[in-house]
Amino acid sequence: MLKSTIRLLIINCTLMLLLVSCASHTLKGFSKTIVEQPIYKAPYFSNTGTDYVYKANISIYGKKLSGLFIAKQINDSCHRIVFTTEFGNSLLDFEIGEHTFKINSIVADLDKKMIIKTLKNDFRLVLANSYHVQAQYENATDKVYKSKDGNRYNLLFIKKQSDNLYKLVRASRYKEKVVVSYSNVNNQLAESLTIEHKNIKLDIVLNYMNN
Amino acid sequence: MKIKAYWLILLFCLSGTGTFAQEQKMAESEIATFKQTVNSVSKKIKTLTTDFVQYKHLDFLSKDIETSGKMFFKQPNLLNWKYIKPYNYSIVFKNNKIFINNEGSKSSVDMGNNKMFEKINKLIVGSVSGDMFDDGAFVITYFKSKDGYITRLLPKDATLKKYIKQIELVFDKEEGIVKQVKLIESSNDFTKINFKNKIINAKIDDSAFNN
Repeated sequence: MLKSTIRLLIINCTLMLLLVSCASHTLKGFSKTIVEQPIYKAPYFSNTGTDYVYKANISIYGKKLSGLFIAKQINDSCHRIVFTTEFGNSLLDFEIGEHTFKINSIVADLDKKMIIKTLKNDFRLVLANSYHVQAQYENATDKVYKSKDGNRYNLLFIKKQSDNLYKLVRASRYKEKVVVSYSNVNNQLAESLTIEHKNIKLDIVLNYMNN
Repeated sequence: MKIKAYWLILLFCLSGTGTFAQEQKMAESEIATFKQTVNSVSKKIKTLTTDFVQYKHLDFLSKDIETSGKMFFKQPNLLNWKYIKPYNYSIVFKNNKIFINNEGSKSSVDMGNNKMFEKINKLIVGSVSGDMFDDGAFVITYFKSKDGYITRLLPKDATLKKYIKQIELVFDKEEGIVKQVKLIESSNDFTKINFKNKIINAKIDDSAFNN
């Protein structure tokens, strides 16, 4: 009895270690510091007067799609998102807020629960105006804000020198789910974004169009 | 009455933009003359090259999204629709297949296997093959204004109707050729394409349709 309990404990501990090592992988080399601000204001899609128009390249299970990703903050709490083909035909038209979601239109081929849910979560993640910071980490060059989001965490990686957000990781306690990488950034705009899914073969690359 | 394939060819023919105020319905006799003009012009077209500027209008955006490029057409059914600004994206319709070159990333689609794509792009290539601009598929009305002749096509097909509320073709009054196409979606957002620098019957090598 005692032997089997010890064995179970060892298994549990090993499992815990494995899990903890997965969880800490994203924050490897970072140490916890005090939270310097309770709310982090996300910079890249939050200007109400700006039309955010990106060329979108999507790779889903080896298939390639492309078109235009168009987003605009239409009021304090809501973004309108339209995805069109290069020819201009709208494929989907959503309104997404922190707690709201409305489908204005979607073509039949995309009107699938899983697709809508995935895109809704991706867009909400990328377009959020602010994140409540629960914990903060840093290393020599970067700082990381950790924000709870339902049963997930969002980890926002920021360069200390420029104060620019360059990576956003959505993770469960143990595993990365979605990684958003930003490049060619300034404090108001990310000219290039890559949304990479870790649990499904879906990558979305957005490149800003100077319209 | 069937509007023939060459209408589409003509559709790609033209130049300029304009506003079309004070339009009037055309009389039956005027419609007959108009069609005859279009017919005689289109019969002469073996190849066609034209520049185009496309404007995607979404009511919630502060500015239309502008893209531009070139179009090559060769009888009987070769078409290359090529965006050059602000990105390189070309789509070739050849042998019932669609060949896409998206900034160097190449793919092809069998039109028979991709219904959504087929429907969306039928507006361009379907009309080349002559099976689109007919009274069976559209309710067609004819108008005239100071600046040109206008035909409005309302789709009858329920699926197409969901995506396209109306197609509007504006013809140059003197030349009888199309100078503007407007695709209006059910939301009233639209895509407008203006044609300019048209070259008719210049030699186009088949390699222009390799994508």
